[in-house]
Amino acid sequence: MNDASVDVERTGSHAVRIVLDGEIDLANVGTVEAQLLEAISNQLVDVTVDLTGVSYIDSAGLRVLFLLGARLETLQIGFHLVVPPDSAVRKVVDLSGIAAIASVEDAPRPA
Amino acid sequence: MSTDGTAPRDRLRRIEAVTDSALGHLAVEELLVELLDRVRELLEVDTAAVLLLDPSTQYLVATAARGVEEEVRAGVRIPLGKGFAGRIAARKQPVFLEQVDHSNVLNPILREKGIRSLLGVPLISGGEVLGVLHIGSLTTRIFTAEDTELLQLAAERVAHATQARQFQISRAAAGALQRSLLPAGLPSVPGIEFASRYVPGGGGEVGGDWYDVFDLPSGRICVVVGDVVGRGLAAAATMARLRAVLRAYALQTDDPADLLQRLDVHIRHFERGVMATVLCAVMEPFHDHLVVSSAGHPPPVATNPDGPSEVVDLPADLPMGVDPARPRRATTVSLPPGHGLFLYTDGLIERRGVSLDVGLRQLCTVLRPGPADAVCGKVMFELLGGEQAADDVAILMLSRLVTRGTEPLVLQHPADPAALRQIRHAVRQWLADVGVARGPAEEVVVAVGEAASNVVEHAYGPSGGTVSVRLVAEPSAIVAVVRDHGRWRSPRGSNRGRGTVLMRGLVDEVKVEHLADGTRVTLQKVLPVTEVG
Repeated sequence: MNDASVDVERTGSHAVRIVLDGEIDLANVGTVEAQLLEAISNQLVDVTVDLTGVSYIDSAGLRVLFLLGARLETLQIGFHLVVPPDSAVRKVVDLSGIAAIASVEDAPRPA
Repeated sequence: MSTDGTAPRDRLRRIEAVTDSALGHLAVEELLVELLDRVRELLEVDTAAVLLLDPSTQYLVATAARGVEEEVRAGVRIPLGKGFAGRIAARKQPVFLEQVDHSNVLNPILREKGIRSLLGVPLISGGEVLGVLHIGSLTTRIFTAEDTELLQLAAERVAHATQARQFQISRAAAGALQRSLLPAGLPSVPGIEFASRYVPGGGGEVGGDWYDVFDLPSGRICVVVGDVVGRGLAAAATMARLRAVLRAYALQTDDPADLLQRLDVHIRHFERGVMATVLCAVMEPFHDHLVVSSAGHPPPVATNPDGPSEVVDLPADLPMGVDPARPRRATTVSLPPGHGLFLYTDGLIERRGVSLDVGLRQLCTVLRPGPADAVCGKVMFELLGGEQAADDVAILMLSRLVTRGTEPLVLQHPADPAALRQIRHAVRQWLADVGVARGPAEEVVVAVGEAASNVVEHAYGPSGGTVSVRLVAEPSAIVAVVRDHGRWRSPRGSNRGRGTVLMRGLVDEVKVEHLADGTRVTLQKVLPVTEVG
């Protein structure tokens, strides 16, 4: 059993929203990474990763988001991170400095 | 016929003597060999052999032989009803063959040994055929009616001794199986106390009762008590399989109703004819609640510090092995600090001629909150001290401790990624118990998780090691120490740097000390005074 789940939904012809749930740590980060990268294709122009349902993330999980962000930057694909304000996850995301390569948003934008 | 001057009846007594205690240590096979020597002597024959019916009751298997030891070594198997031995067992009648040939003997060893004449009788106990005893002569010999009668008398004693020994051995095996499967120690869970007992039924016979406590991948604790219908080795072996299957499914679901459903489908497919009652409870994070599902099992009893113990109102779904298509239900039972839950199998409250309600009422009267082990001891003494239970009995008590929030949290885990979740789980629980607000608590959880994650990733080589975590509540701060006994390798990639930034951002002080025997990371989170205690 994996304590994190990764759900992918297409929100437009060139956009995808990836919803992460649960706890992401060293034990399951490999699986999460594989599922995340699988969801990204070259045709996309916009990727949103929604962390609303994530109850724990540390630097092991952040590493995947940084890796993804760097890839998307190279491919010139937009990268949005949805993280609710006033949560421990938000604090971790803010401290990480990932805002340099992703736009961190409070709530999902209407599709 | 007698050549040594002793009458056959005297020599028959020598067979009875085999059941003496002097030979009590022998296994079934050794005992039979000893008996066969005396049968050979009694009837002055060259060979003697015993074939026993196997558990399928379709084949006779050569179990002991004298003069034709090859039979046993070659594992000779004769189908019931076929050949010389098969006919004896099927008809429950003696068979005498004056001339052995291909048409009447299936077993090539008997022919190749040059056996000319054979006499065989069934081994019968309580009207049931256990096997066959046969004797043979290398010269042609007419066995008389008196020989047949004598062999039948010997067979009675052989059957009796075999059955007694088989029963004794199967009981010893069942006992060993039970002992090997009941958990040697129950898991240690901060804030929860477990205790258990198991006793065999009347005459020391074990059955299919079991209890189990283990942690799930999610960090939740799963508690199980079950009872496989039946007795002895067969029930104990079935119990062993069900216990293992239930544990395997527990890796896939946290929902006890779903877990029991899966076990039921398994039983339906692989264990037809097996019936069992099982109670499965999964403790929610923070231990405030348990989610409980019952497959026809007697209801647990809840203890509380303010009043009498009460039977938990729990819908009992069908026992396992009846109809896996019926939906199963799960009920949430609350477990505040100071409360407890007592699980048991029906042997505890079952008395001949007395309704279960009487036993259950007595259990509620006896059950009072207290240290879990003392509670178990008291219940066993009060309910079973007077008379031996007919059935085996398993009980399990779990008590939620009243934490005052001042005791430090001390954890030690293997430095393995799977431990991280368990560490977070325990730290969250402890921080809630000491009254730290959710926001800062979660920041401490991430900082401790980060430090522990570093130990898992960097402290040890392939042989591994441990990660220790200690949290102390000081008047205005939480101090966490994460310790390992390895030598950190130099960090790879940018991950480490990021982890340190995180820790420094989440707590007020981070101190990393590289000591002679490992590394110590001390984290301090300052809290407003009102949030502690």
